[in-house]
Parts: sequence; structure tokens; C-alpha cells
Amino acid sequence: MKTKQYSVKVFEIVLEDEEKFISFFDKNYLFFQNHLISIIGERSDRVANYLQEKALKYVFNVDIPKKSTPTQAVIPQTQEKKEIVETKPIQKHLQVLDKLIRSGQELTIDGDLLLLNRVNSGGSIIINGTLIITQVVDGSIRCNGNFMMLQASNKANIVFHDVEIDNSFLQDKLNRVELINNEIVITPVLKEKSWV
Amino acid sequence: MGIVIAVISGKGGVGKTTTTANLGVGIAQNGKKCVVVDFDIGQRNLDMHLGLENRVVYDMVHVMDDGISLKQALIKSKITPNLSFLAASQTKDKSVLSSEKIKVMIEELKKDFDYVILDAPAGIESGYEHTIEFADRAIVVVNPEVSSIRDSDRAIGILDSKSQKVKEGKEVEKYLIINRIDPKMVQSGEMLSSEDILDILNIPLIGKIPEDKGIIEASNQGKPIILSKDSAAAQAYTRVSKRLCNEKVDFVDVENHAKGFMSKIKGIFK
Repeated sequence: MKTKQYSVKVFEIVLEDEEKFISFFDKNYLFFQNHLISIIGERSDRVANYLQEKALKYVFNVDIPKKSTPTQAVIPQTQEKKEIVETKPIQKHLQVLDKLIRSGQELTIDGDLLLLNRVNSGGSIIINGTLIITQVVDGSIRCNGNFMMLQASNKANIVFHDVEIDNSFLQDKLNRVELINNEIVITPVLKEKSWV
Repeated sequence: MGIVIAVISGKGGVGKTTTTANLGVGIAQNGKKCVVVDFDIGQRNLDMHLGLENRVVYDMVHVMDDGISLKQALIKSKITPNLSFLAASQTKDKSVLSSEKIKVMIEELKKDFDYVILDAPAGIESGYEHTIEFADRAIVVVNPEVSSIRDSDRAIGILDSKSQKVKEGKEVEKYLIINRIDPKMVQSGEMLSSEDILDILNIPLIGKIPEDKGIIEASNQGKPIILSKDSAAAQAYTRVSKRLCNEKVDFVDVENHAKGFMSKIKGIFK
């Protein structure tokens, strides 16, 4: 007999209004590609077909065994978010810094930033332009620019246009996070070892 | 003119005072004149680590406020004549400190001693800021655990913005001591490795001190561990002291070094 054990990320959602449900997933379905969506509420064929179409895995009214109390899902913030007018990618006085951002230090920047050092746990960067960090981020980032490119550890707290981004998307390699048509798109930037 | 070294950590209980006491003895044994100053006003401990509890008559606050001369307040150590000690006040609190008075006192100490070692209080309040204000160098003591590292990261940040040397446009040299390394836990991956810590804090390493059960007894008896030559921690402190005296000493792999007798024998037959 062959057995395997996995940990699965479950996104639990209560189904009340089909329209709202579908419009929410229209915006955010990319986030749930690796999740199991657990729906609580009356089974609806329309929703089921929709989710199948988006290639998402789902279950209806299943009592999933949980170890601890579930954390508040952060992604639904997008739902209440105001329409963001997409800004054109204009470069705003780019700063290049090679400075370690230590715990307790806060960098507030009006413009773009290229940071060539780490952001330590407890350090923070608030920026309204584009942000590129070449080393690991352990601290907190608030970015409202066109895009940001960084690699974050699981200690980091990354917020892009008021949306908290799940760290699991940002680990291991450099990632490009950008806003396209009101959707946050995260694409890993492949970096070969010989790149240096 | 002597060099002023502040021993800092941010977090409490990581071994600042133990480190100060041992490095003071180590530097003095290298033939340099050294004074250790307890800056933890209201909670002095360094006197006990050095076994000088019963000899304290005047303390730092007496020197700064009551016109007592440094000669009267300085206590010569029994261990080595090169080492002196200046106590912190146990009855006052840190509000009695002021920058001008500290500057006068430290300038005077620098005239008489090659090394002035300041034992900073835990935390990042005014007591800490006064300690680092006139320091030329800083020794950052961390334990291989995340909270200690974050706190010392914060302490380094404050050092880099508030010390006198930085205000003059120069840089305070910072060195890292990783204290209380448990070789077994590092090998099994439970403790952070030195490489990770150095990566985060980004300052040069000056020594790794292994965990040693003898340290508690040593400070209870007022005999710094550096005096018991066969202890691994003592050897590590001796190496750090030599490095501080500008001697070149090779780094010893503390994580893999401290093996028992049996595993050494097993190692031979491998």
C-alpha cells in the first residue's frame, strides 16, 4: 500500500451571493491556484461550473480537519479596494542605496528605489514609486509604485497597493509584483547562478 | 590615549556583563592597562562578576556629582594589577547621567588606561545612549536566536545614528561576539548558524563563545571563567582578548570543536 501525506492551503468562503462570489474570483482567482477552496453554503451549479472553468479545486460543505484556528484570509481586501487608476511607468528620481535597513529604521521614499542590501526584521520601507531590492527582505514593505521586485522570507510583511501579499509567493527567488488591470500579478524572475 | 569600547546587545541576559568581565581580565593579562566601567546605573552586576562586591566605596555617580576623584573610586582587581573597576551606582537611577559629565570622566579614564570597557545596560533607553555616546568601538554580543539578533540590530542602528563619532562624520567600529553557542544544537539545525547571523547583522566577527556550565558558578564566586584555562569558553574569551589587543589569532570552529572524549576516540577510528 502506498500512502503520502500533504499539507494543503485551504481558502474557506461562505457562499451567499453568486454574483459577488464570481466577481471576487474574477479578480483574485490567480491567488487560489494552489489552494483548495472550501465553500460553505448551498451547492450551486453555476459556481461549480465557473470554478471548473478557472481550473480551481473546490469542495462544498466539507468539514475539513483543522489543527489551529484559521488565520484571517488577507486577499479579500481587494474586494473593497477602490479603483486604482493605472499610472504610466514614468521613472521618478531613482535612488540607489547600498545600506542595510536595520530593525527600527524606517525609510520613507518619494520616488523609485534600488536597494542593494537587506531589509532586516523590524525595519521598514514606505515608498510611492517602483522598488527593487536585490537581497532578502525580512522586514515590512509598503509600496505603491508601478511594480516591485524582491525576494521575501516568511517573516516579511509585504503590502502592495494596500493589499497584503502572501509570502509564500515571494520566497526562494526574486519576484516581480505588478498591477495589471486591477489585478496583482506575481511573476518569478529566474536568476541563474551564473548571472553574477 | 586609550580606546573606549562599549559592550552592547540590546536584549538582556545574553552575556554582556560576563563578556565585559572576561575581556577585561583577558586584556589585562595581555599586559595592557584596562578599566571596566559598569554603566548599568541602579542595577550593578559587574562588581559581583569580578568578585569586588565588598570593595565598592565610591561609584561613578559620586565621581560625576560629588567631587570624588577617580583615583578614590577606581578599584584595583585582585586578579591582575593591570585591571581596574569603576562601579555603577546601585541607589540612583539613570536620570543622573549627563553627556558633559560622562565625557569628562571618560576623557580622564582614557589618559590613564589603554582600554576603557563600558558595560552597557540592556535596552535602548537613555542609559544605553549615554554608554555608546563616546565609544570608539562597540562589541555586540548576541545569542544565536532571533529575538537577540533583532534587538542587537536595533541597538546597532541607534549606535550608528547617536554616537559622538558618527556625528563627527566618522564610524564606530563594530565587532560581533556570538555567545552561548551550543554546538549540538547548531549541528542539528535548531540554532541559527554563525553565517546567518553575520549575514543579517553585517558586522565583522571577533569571536564565538560556546555555552559553558561553568560560567554561572564562575560569576557566583566572582572569578571570571577566563581564569579556568581548560574551559572552552575561557579559551574563546582569551582569543577574543588577544584579537582586541591587535594580535592575529586564528578562528576556531567552536560549533564542531567542543566534542567529548568518546567522540574524539570514535573520530580516530573513522
